[in-house]
Amino acid sequence: MRRASPIRSPQDAGAGVFLIALAALSLWQTADLALGTLRAFGPGMLPRALAVLLGSAGLGLIVMSFIKEGSALERWSVRGPFFILGSILLFSLTIRSVGLVVAGPLTMLVGAYASPEFRFKESAIFAVILTTACIILFNVILRLPIPILRGF
Amino acid sequence: MEALVANLSLGFSTALSLNNIGLCFIGCLVGTLIGVLPGVGPIATIAMLLPITFGIDPTGALIMLAGIYYGAQYGGSTTAILVNIPGEATSVVTVLDGHAMAKQGRAGVALGISAIGSFFAGCVATLVIAALGLPLTRLAQLFGPAEYFALMVMGLVFAMVLARGSLLKAFAMIVLGLVLSTIGTDLETGEERLTFGIQDLSDGLDFAVLAMGVFGFAEIIRNLENPEARDVVRGTIGRLLPNWSDLKQSAAPILRGTALGSILGILPGNGAVLGPFASYSVEKKLAKDPSRFGRGAIEGVAGPEAANNAGAQTAFIPLLTLGIPPNAVMALMVGAMTIHGIIPGPQVMTKNPQLFWGMIASMWVGNLMLLVINLPLVGLWVRLLKVPYRLLFPAILLFCCIGIYSINNSVEQVAFTAFFGLFGYALIKFGFEPAPMLLGFVLGKLMEEKLRQALILSRGSFATFVDRPISLGLLVVSVVLIVIALLPAISKSRDEVFTE
Repeated sequence: MRRASPIRSPQDAGAGVFLIALAALSLWQTADLALGTLRAFGPGMLPRALAVLLGSAGLGLIVMSFIKEGSALERWSVRGPFFILGSILLFSLTIRSVGLVVAGPLTMLVGAYASPEFRFKESAIFAVILTTACIILFNVILRLPIPILRGF
Repeated sequence: MEALVANLSLGFSTALSLNNIGLCFIGCLVGTLIGVLPGVGPIATIAMLLPITFGIDPTGALIMLAGIYYGAQYGGSTTAILVNIPGEATSVVTVLDGHAMAKQGRAGVALGISAIGSFFAGCVATLVIAALGLPLTRLAQLFGPAEYFALMVMGLVFAMVLARGSLLKAFAMIVLGLVLSTIGTDLETGEERLTFGIQDLSDGLDFAVLAMGVFGFAEIIRNLENPEARDVVRGTIGRLLPNWSDLKQSAAPILRGTALGSILGILPGNGAVLGPFASYSVEKKLAKDPSRFGRGAIEGVAGPEAANNAGAQTAFIPLLTLGIPPNAVMALMVGAMTIHGIIPGPQVMTKNPQLFWGMIASMWVGNLMLLVINLPLVGLWVRLLKVPYRLLFPAILLFCCIGIYSINNSVEQVAFTAFFGLFGYALIKFGFEPAPMLLGFVLGKLMEEKLRQALILSRGSFATFVDRPISLGLLVVSVVLIVIALLPAISKSRDEVFTE
């Protein structure tokens, strides 16, 4: 079944819009930087020129999406990205303030919940074992300055 | 020739010290261990294992890193044979016949011939690197900023043409990488660019952060989305050592694969990725009965695996002699070397010959090590492959977090990595291939520096790039490449190569 849309490749159209948004963001951020001249580049010359190039590539993709048949837009999942990225942020919040003893199992458990097959008991046991192994490997054997337990 | 022997013996005396053999062994072992895990490619493996090389002297650390690199590569092939999942682009072809052999109960032979082929290719490639190292380094010393810039342009054009999928998207990814590379303080004026006022970005974006976000975390999210279809070979692995007729059948493909892989690996812009494809199609064309391919033809494993390993190794040549990484994995090696205070380039060989030749010799040692480690440990890899992903990925997650944190002991970097995980996920959703972006990112800073230097030297005249013969030649090659890739007939067959 084909929908009556002039866009033949929604994925490419989306990709084009994404690139244009990134280009606009860079242009906005570098707006204050001096361009300089072609003979003597200022700090803003390359980033702005590249951003324009990026935007044009995006425009090209959008134009092509009307001409060439392509894939549909993929559905974005929520659970995976949310818990994976959340667990990484939790790691960055707890590693220095509390230490690996807490950050390790916390990251693994929250991260594991990203999978629909999550089983608490199994994950918890594994998290404790792996955190212990990491402490032995990184702190004891390799002597890296990773905080183990702080604030208590 | 005499110099070559003297250099290699210096290298071997370094690489064969007890300490360095140990480091090479550990590197190969853990590299394979992580590389075997499905869904963890060489980039994520190296980034994850970077911290374990901290605290070792630079020579030892580089030897260990090289070991990790080979281990990761070989681990990918093991996964390709035992499971139907190619760890990365270069083992895509191995899956075809390797997994078919495994289904026929000949997994052991497939692994064995792949190890033997890789070892042979590795030996030859080591010699190629040693032989080309000196002349190319001399050539590099003739290079001015204009030539360097033109060479990098050519590298990026190669990367664009060789990327999978649409040319326009690959081009966009390279430009995006270049844009990301301008984040940080401007070289000349010291003004901050694209830092969004974030203090930690004033030194620029860390390569490991981008690589881990896009190749580590985004990959995990993607894997979780697709319900797992892991087809681990059941039943016996069978004997490991190929018999006489297997060897006889594989000898010529290994030789051809090694030659193809070595040559393609030297090309800037990820030529190594072409090696296995080229070898596979050559073997299929030369075979008396091409229909055997895809149904467990041993030539279809031996040739591409030799090409894969040869290319993986000769890819070091542009990095070590010119200081220009030809692909994303090598780009990560640049990052790793910089952490250890070594800036890759022609000066490494002259200033630090022990390190340079030691590393080259250790490549050979590493290849031998892989042969010794992998064959007896196949049983362990099989068991590791049966661990369900729901247990594997939280472990990968934690390793990645610890890895990123310990590079700079910075919690901000961990948070940035999470952001780039989301960014990478978006790229995947829009059908972009992130590898060219990484290459653009790595070359970007150097390109800007060389471009501006060249323009200062020429007093602002762009004619410098066409007036100088080497630079002109490199730029002409780039233009020709783009034109060829855009020709309808070629672009059609390009699509076929990558979908096969």
